[in-house]
Amino acid sequence: MDRSLQNTHAKLVARDIQRLTQSPTESNSFSLLGGACVSRVETVGTIISRDLTPKFLKFGVDDGTGCVTCVLWLNQLTSSYFSRWHPDTILLLASAARKQAAEIRIGSVARVRGRVGSYRGVMQITATVVVVERDPNAEILHWLECLRLGQSCYRILS
Amino acid sequence: MANTRIEPGVPITLQELYPSSQFYKEAVSLRVTGMLSGYSVETAIGVIEDGGKSLKINTQNLRDISFRVGSIYQFIGELHIEPNNEARTGRNVDGIDMNLYRKTVELLRQFLKEEGNSNMVE
Repeated sequence: MDRSLQNTHAKLVARDIQRLTQSPTESNSFSLLGGACVSRVETVGTIISRDLTPKFLKFGVDDGTGCVTCVLWLNQLTSSYFSRWHPDTILLLASAARKQAAEIRIGSVARVRGRVGSYRGVMQITATVVVVERDPNAEILHWLECLRLGQSCYRILS
Repeated sequence: MANTRIEPGVPITLQELYPSSQFYKEAVSLRVTGMLSGYSVETAIGVIEDGGKSLKINTQNLRDISFRVGSIYQFIGELHIEPNNEARTGRNVDGIDMNLYRKTVELLRQFLKEEGNSNMVE
């Protein structure tokens, strides 16, 4: 199994993110058409939905090939997951997450990086970084990068 | 938020919207780009143009967006043969390279078509 992309954010279009299949041996790894395994992805698209709860922000990203649900957790200050982390680090993470959440608005174009996973049978991204892209050509560049990497890198069968 | 599937807005050029086109279907989700040639505040109807073709856009559902005639905008929404196409999102894309955009959309379609024929490997 090709694990060369395990620690990189694979640039994928939404349709390909939805077609990722879980590795039979590693629950956090997914492969596209039997190619290299990925656990992190990067997508760029228009924010088409936004649902804010006390613990997380769920938003949808439409890049023209599909729609991907993304989740940005906002519970760093209360979650036991972070209980062993240094308080200053937790504060930084919480602050960064809230700032990013405030920028996520319907109609904006955002670059989302995070871990890919399956929830109720649908692939979604647990976002670690969300950046609003103000350059109108940023999405075009992402499409081109997805095409190039998809043809030259991600489709290489192990 | 409901878990109903939302169809992506397929990027097209205005030249591709004609009655016999594969994209010319009621309620199909599309992404259109063009220069705003006119806008009515009263009706919230805007008209975008690209490549000699024009399209009316109903922007009544859009928030936090200002419209300026002469600027280029991109909208995602549903096509309605009558009366007006309804936009779910819109943004100003002044500075976009429209030639590059058109070429990239075509490349993207080819890529999706080729990959769509690939068999999934178990």
